[in-house]
Amino acid sequence: MTGGDGRSDPKRELWLAWYATVAFYSLYAVVFFVVTRTQPPGKPWYGPVEVAAWFSGHHRGLLVGFALIFVLGGLSATSIALITYSIRRMSVSRAFAYSYLILYAIAAVPGFLFICVAMTVGAMRPGRDPAVLRWLYDLGFLSFSGTMGVFLVGSLIWMTAILLDQNRVFPKWFGYMNLCNALTEVVVAPSWIFHGGALAWNGTIAWWINVVVFGLYTGVFITLLRRMILREDFGRGPLPDLAPTMSGPGEAAAEVAAA
Amino acid sequence: MTSAGGGTAVAAATGPATGSGHVPGQPDMWFFVVFESLIFTSYFCVYLFHRARHEGAFLQGQSHLVLWLGVLDTVVLLTSSWAVARCVQHARAGRHRPALRAAVLTAACGLAFLALKLVEWARLIHMGRTFTSSEFFQFYFFLTGIHLVHLLIGFVVLGVLVRRLSDRERPSQQAVETCATYWHTVDFFWVLIFALLYVVR
Amino acid sequence: MRRITGEQVIFWALPLVAVMWLAAFLLFPGFLPPMSPKWSAARVAAFYRDHTSRVRYSMVLFNWFCVALIPVLMLIVERMRGMAHRTPVLRYCVIGVAGAAPIAFLTSTIFWLLAAFRPDRAPSLTQLYNDLAWITFTCGIPFLVAICVFLAVSIYLDQQDRPVFGRWVAHFNVLIAVALVPAGFAGLTLSGAFAWNGLLSFWVKNVAIAVWILVMAVVLGRALPRHHEGLGTPA
Repeated sequence: MTGGDGRSDPKRELWLAWYATVAFYSLYAVVFFVVTRTQPPGKPWYGPVEVAAWFSGHHRGLLVGFALIFVLGGLSATSIALITYSIRRMSVSRAFAYSYLILYAIAAVPGFLFICVAMTVGAMRPGRDPAVLRWLYDLGFLSFSGTMGVFLVGSLIWMTAILLDQNRVFPKWFGYMNLCNALTEVVVAPSWIFHGGALAWNGTIAWWINVVVFGLYTGVFITLLRRMILREDFGRGPLPDLAPTMSGPGEAAAEVAAA
Repeated sequence: MTSAGGGTAVAAATGPATGSGHVPGQPDMWFFVVFESLIFTSYFCVYLFHRARHEGAFLQGQSHLVLWLGVLDTVVLLTSSWAVARCVQHARAGRHRPALRAAVLTAACGLAFLALKLVEWARLIHMGRTFTSSEFFQFYFFLTGIHLVHLLIGFVVLGVLVRRLSDRERPSQQAVETCATYWHTVDFFWVLIFALLYVVR
Repeated sequence: MRRITGEQVIFWALPLVAVMWLAAFLLFPGFLPPMSPKWSAARVAAFYRDHTSRVRYSMVLFNWFCVALIPVLMLIVERMRGMAHRTPVLRYCVIGVAGAAPIAFLTSTIFWLLAAFRPDRAPSLTQLYNDLAWITFTCGIPFLVAICVFLAVSIYLDQQDRPVFGRWVAHFNVLIAVALVPAGFAGLTLSGAFAWNGLLSFWVKNVAIAVWILVMAVVLGRALPRHHEGLGTPA
């Protein structure tokens, strides 16, 4: 595999993936929180009449917002690819990297495909039977926040890899933060049981606190991925730390090209 | 858990480091402790908020809890904390056999707590007080349940502790202290839960 | 004696599988011409009552073989190893979406099969399954768009004397990605070019997928023998 001829930054593809990751999560947040307003989620205790009203109130936003996800949702693979790469850079077995890749590739299906389909089908026919609309409403919200396994196991895999890693790709405290993220998947489990209260799919504990933890986690790993790319030396040993004088990708590229 | 904490430290200290700076164990574990404490605190706030709104119903629910069982739970976990602290002391002095014995005692206390908790749950469920029967018990089972998950993770951590203790080639006091820190946190959370659910009436 | 890698086996299975896909497509009574989203529930129910067998057999066939695209996508990923990339990140991107892509098709076959399973149920429920199937099939394109984009980017970044795929393949993938985009908006309207039976969301999208498979098969076939020597190259 021939490397670049020195003119192009060998970290180019890593930066492309990283900027695509930032773009994807920004789009995701805007679509779910602003355009479709499906987060914070609708109330689980709604009867068919209220659900029908919810759909008509959110009609345009649902159809437009989820159309955007239908087109651009595949960008989610860039963050998965970067994280898989980061695990591969560690001193642990590649089994960890490939497990993570597969788990999160599957995660796209409950992660956005189901809610996109359920909400689009719900919104496209305003005259649909309200009882059926409530079935779609449940399918959308529960498949979105209640499918816990992939994220639970995936986070544990990343955590284990980080804690065992001797190449110092990520700080150990982030390994523990993966445990916190995995535990949010345990905390959300009661949302399959309750129609209201703190543990329902829109509850203070099962949604609000969980989303704060997940949001912090996501912000942190995006930042840490950036630092990893800056530090990357394409070797097999421990990743060097960032020197205090380094200020951006340009300098890092110059360093690597000169090495 | 061999290398020093993250950030921009220049060189990683490996081998029998006794923990950098003034903090026992890996500083990264303290991040976890603080973060989980914040999360638990927020759960407790939600509990107290709901309790304030339906005080009568909550008091009624609380009356079905057996106080002395809660006290016993607390004593068992405090003993386990004492045991793991002794383990750290022995390990620091190089007394590996006593350290291992103390670690086993810690695990035994943990198992005792687990057994007591399951018995208590079984009793409540038998009486008809389940996860879904009332708002108080929703919180009770949730808080004790999530605590139990932390305890189960604690057994894994103890396993790591025992492995690092037995590893004569790369002894790491820091790893031992890190695991102990986690165990103390599990105990700490229980004391708070005990105070909130059993005692405050 | 030449080492048997099996890649030729996977590759030559593609025409056979493509025949299955085409057969399923032609057999399904709802594709030619495509069912209209504006049909009433009663008309949809009547459709499933009248064409039960054809729906069932075509969708079972499709269900069996739609995932057969994955090995072919993996052949492409293997060719990407020969590209002048410093890291496997772009390969991981393609693998990351290759799994999810056929799942959209698979899920839509499940909904169509469900619609045909009890043709005498309440028409509003049959219409629901029909809607779910069509929306999943038509709008479930994010992974296909992503594959095209990732491939195009990979080829643009493959700057060496003998690139694995010619640059025109990258332009072609961009074109296909653009052709697929309108189908994502099929939920917004029940009639017109964007509706699931419309020019853009049905004809352009499905023809684009077919052309992509055809062109990439030819390109892949040409790239295969050349790389028998390069099989020992580490990642």
